[in-house]
Amino acid sequence: MANDSPISLAVELGPLRLKNPVMVASGTFGYGQEYGDLVPLERLGGVVVKGISLEPRSGNPPPRIWETCGGMLNSIGLQNVGLRAFVEEKLPLLRPLQVPVIVNLFGNTVEDYGKLAAALDGHEGIDALEINISCPNVKAGGMAFGSDPKMVFQVVSAVRSETKLPVITKLTPNVTDITVPAKAAEDAGTDILSLINTVAGMAVDAKTRRPRLANVVGGLSGPAIKPIALRMVWQVIQASNLPVIGLGGIISVEDALEFLIVGARAVQVGTANFVNPQVTLEIISGLEDYLLRQGLKDINEIIGTLELTR
Amino acid sequence: MLLRNAKIIFNKPVSAELYHMGLLCPDIAAKIQPGQFLMVRIQDRLDPLLRRPFAVHRLYPNDPPGSFEMLYKVVGRGTQLLANMQRGDFLNLLGPLGRGFRLPQDKGFVLMVAGGIGIAPLPYLAETLAASGNKGPFVLWFGGKTSTDLVCVQHFNDLGFAVQLVTEDGSEGKKGLVTGHLEQWLTQQDELPKVMYSCGPYLMQRSVAEMAARLGIPSQLSMEALMGCGVGACLSCSLRCHPPKGVQDPHYANVCQDGPVFDGEEIFWD
Ligand SMILES: Cc1cc2nc3c(=O)[nH]c(=O)nc-3n(C[C@H](O)[C@H](O)[C@H](O)COP(=O)(O)OP(=O)(O)OC[C@H]3O[C@@H](n4cnc5c(N)ncnc54)[C@H](O)[C@@H]3O)c2cc1C
Ligand SMILES: Cc1cc2nc3c(=O)[nH]c(=O)nc-3n(C[C@H](O)[C@H](O)[C@H](O)COP(=O)(O)O)c2cc1C
Ligand code: FES
Repeated sequence: MANDSPISLAVELGPLRLKNPVMVASGTFGYGQEYGDLVPLERLGGVVVKGISLEPRSGNPPPRIWETCGGMLNSIGLQNVGLRAFVEEKLPLLRPLQVPVIVNLFGNTVEDYGKLAAALDGHEGIDALEINISCPNVKAGGMAFGSDPKMVFQVVSAVRSETKLPVITKLTPNVTDITVPAKAAEDAGTDILSLINTVAGMAVDAKTRRPRLANVVGGLSGPAIKPIALRMVWQVIQASNLPVIGLGGIISVEDALEFLIVGARAVQVGTANFVNPQVTLEIISGLEDYLLRQGLKDINEIIGTLELTR
Repeated sequence: MLLRNAKIIFNKPVSAELYHMGLLCPDIAAKIQPGQFLMVRIQDRLDPLLRRPFAVHRLYPNDPPGSFEMLYKVVGRGTQLLANMQRGDFLNLLGPLGRGFRLPQDKGFVLMVAGGIGIAPLPYLAETLAASGNKGPFVLWFGGKTSTDLVCVQHFNDLGFAVQLVTEDGSEGKKGLVTGHLEQWLTQQDELPKVMYSCGPYLMQRSVAEMAARLGIPSQLSMEALMGCGVGACLSCSLRCHPPKGVQDPHYANVCQDGPVFDGEEIFWD
């Protein structure tokens, strides 16, 4: 394992320890099994599963996806198997593996979030919860929670009071000042912040004058959003003392390094998995190569080392 | 599921919009079944970003060993880039993916229906069927907008198929839509097919499924959807289906994982 290697990629995010800082992002890697043996999960820093709700959800009608310049819009509508099927069918496949499992969760009401956290708390094989307050897709919840700091506080408090697991709050970029919801989540007792979720967007077919997505609007992800994500991570790093997980548009080791240099302690990779299923493995070995080339031994030596003097 | 670089052994137009591409990739050729597909990364660039799904058109066990052919239609940026690629270039393939066609339990009459580029996955199915010891009869109904859409008819003839052609402009075969002529023809046959295989535009697929249901013929349809991952990870490629017992309604299946081949009665047509 990593112990024999002179290079250490291990990172600590408050109560969460990862053997390397590269995870797969929620909604882009199913429940961990879909890519089969192309990606040995044990090599990853962590696996964040598709967002779970109390009851199963059908999701939005198709079309649910549209490719845009350097990115993609999606309006999946938070389709998922629901809490019970997740615990009975999906979690047992992940439990034996030596990889941190992070369960992404969302609800329609503050109470839903609390109930989910309580129900997941007792299960072996879950290493952290990630609260999705940011999904822009669902008319009933999503948007409202993430963009209103009072709601952020309530949701995070509800989860915090029901679990001893590390709590990650995942922020939406669809706000004027990202540090406001970040602060609200911090005040409510989140251990870690992750950002960003997708950027609200839209596309139209000029020939038919119809929206490309049946849901009309969707969330933009992929390389196109990286500068937005990086700027927001930088702002949150300056405003908060909490450990931050950076994501949004990462598809290469250079992208991951940008987030780490700005101060993220770990990263998640989403859309890039679709383009290159083994991209996370390439980023992990790329980080080792980078450290070697820089004559460094520990990834922590580059985290938060943004050079501002000219 | 494999991730492999395949070498392009030829890439040539068969009409203004349709191309044949030969690919050498023994590992995938050894595993892929008729109706399964590949997610193709056309070029190592960020725009266009996502892989594109394509079926295997024909498999060449010996010529050279481990090679196969795709038939593709240029419809947008990705397929235009594909058309510009040269012999000797490489394509990155993810596959084989999805649930393909199943061969009929009983030997005998098999009917295939294709609309336009929907012909793409059928020759490999026809080759497999002919090699399975089934003596037919085999019939292909093939419709297109115009005569140049009707490619690889000779190959079906060579495999022992009777081919019925239909074009919307009447430039070849019967004039109109495949589904407009097919049911009348079917009801004139002495026996009904054991199975109907179909690939084409949504409305054609719907007519085929409804016709098959009326006549009590099992149908297998290869469906399309816009795809993100191709492996069941992103839930983008939804097709509304009748919910299995105990599953909530509406039920969306993943075309990439539960399909692309569906039984006609699984699909909820809207
Ligand atoms: C399982 C499966 C197998 C397929 N097999 C073949 C095949 O063997 N030969 C072939 O020519 N085509 C096949 N297709 C369709 C092919 O994937 C699309 O034509 C292709 O992705 C278009 O890419 P583009 O970049 O040229 O088009 P874009 O510029 O992305 O879009 C142009 C048009 O193509 C449509 N399109 C884009 N992506 C898809 C998609 N994933 N599926 C359907 N339509 C799409 C768009 O709606 C748009 O109208 C298959 C599709 C599926 C789902
Ligand atoms: C198809 C798809 C589904 C997603 N589903 C979820 C989800 O269930 N929960 C969540 O918190 N984020 C979800 N996301 C957001 C991603 O986890 C990630 O925050 C976003 O895509 C930005 O990262 P990327 O550019 O690397 O993809 C989804 C994204 C995509 C593309
Ligand atoms: S394309 Fe991602 S689930 Fe089917």
